[in-house]
Amino acid sequence: MCVSNDGVPVGAEDGAPDLARPGPAGETRRDLARALFACALAAALAPVVAAFRPLGPGSPPGKAEGDTAFDQTYRGRRIRGVWTPARSAAEDGRWHVTVDGRPLHLMRRADGTWLSMVDHYCSYGTPLEAARAAVDELGPGQRLRDRVPGPAGAGHVHMGDRHGVRA
Amino acid sequence: MAYVRKDAGTLTAAEKRRFVAALLEVKRRGEYDEFVRMHMAYFPSDGEAGLRAAHMAPSFLPWHRRFVLELETALRRVDSSVTVPYWDWTRDRTSSSVPWTADLLGGNGRRSDRQVMTGPFAYREGNWTIKEGVTEGAFLTRDLGRHRDPIALPTKSELKWALKDRAYDVAPWDSTVTRGFRNKLEGWGTGRGSTSWRNHNRVHRWVGGAMVSSASVNDPVFWLHHAFVDLQWYRWQRRHRGARYLPATPPGPADKQHGRIVARHEKLPPWDVTPNELEDVGRIYRYA
Repeated sequence: MCVSNDGVPVGAEDGAPDLARPGPAGETRRDLARALFACALAAALAPVVAAFRPLGPGSPPGKAEGDTAFDQTYRGRRIRGVWTPARSAAEDGRWHVTVDGRPLHLMRRADGTWLSMVDHYCSYGTPLEAARAAVDELGPGQRLRDRVPGPAGAGHVHMGDRHGVRA
Repeated sequence: MAYVRKDAGTLTAAEKRRFVAALLEVKRRGEYDEFVRMHMAYFPSDGEAGLRAAHMAPSFLPWHRRFVLELETALRRVDSSVTVPYWDWTRDRTSSSVPWTADLLGGNGRRSDRQVMTGPFAYREGNWTIKEGVTEGAFLTRDLGRHRDPIALPTKSELKWALKDRAYDVAPWDSTVTRGFRNKLEGWGTGRGSTSWRNHNRVHRWVGGAMVSSASVNDPVFWLHHAFVDLQWYRWQRRHRGARYLPATPPGPADKQHGRIVARHEKLPPWDVTPNELEDVGRIYRYA
């Protein structure tokens, strides 16, 4: 996921990227034990939770503000988000996020982070962070379109093989 | 006979003129916006259900190879001398270098609204109106290097780090894998800060504006970028003789990735072609 405004020098590295970046340096054994316990608990609950949460734009993040809704002004833009739980087992719950009243389509990554159609090549920890990052990326005075084709619109694309390129 | 894709920095004035003219004609015919729509349609994420063909999946490379070929075919119907040039972002690294010149793709967006004001794709030239964007703006936008919080393009060593990995891709074949050439090149990272974007993704981020949105195809640099990414696949194959596209066979029914990725001999939607058939395109084009 990406960090936009915390001052981490994202352009500073020169190769040899450390993907398996360790946690904060000051981590204690107790923190580690706690984390392991939390993991074990999560693993024990996982099958139960999975049974009720189909793959999809899953449950809202279970921590911090904005758990199921947010409504704030950021850089002069009104950003709102509402989590709508699934109404049946066959359906996914989903976030409805708007910027100045226009829908901002969010997608979820396998690691649980979120990306928006405005900022599509990196992801953020929460829908709120993704919405704020989208506002950062929107040019001054630019508004989202009301209707934007997304993955759901795949059926309306007609390209197929009509150009006849063959490998 | 195979045609040649050239480094954008080596194009003659006439080659640049013809490439630009062909792009404008494909746009005028309405074909270009179909490419924009198609790319938007094929970007489901790996945290959601459904088949992933274009991103966060092993078929990132063959899907975009075929996609660039489609555009190139459209360009060559207009002018058979034209091929898609590539932008070597490990070498041409500033907002004034290739391809950001007035005779090719034009320059950076202006500060106030990120509108591209120079070159053939500037809105005021009248030939490049954005029809399928995520914002209401009808003009092409860029924010080269991200002015408010600068980042750098990927380096040669970062690209080499991807090329060194002999495994094409590894399970679970998505954006979370930390091994495998495909994701090291596609660039979905974990963690924070400098580990968040790599190679391909980082270039989209560096160009900014339209290029960082789901409608990234609106910026013609998309093709020059993806031609260079495509060249890396070829280089990786040369470096690791015998290494192939993975997975060779589809994940089984018990696998969470079952039905969600394209294996070597499966059809790559929306085309009637498999990754296997796209691994070697040497008789269609080669890189100079």
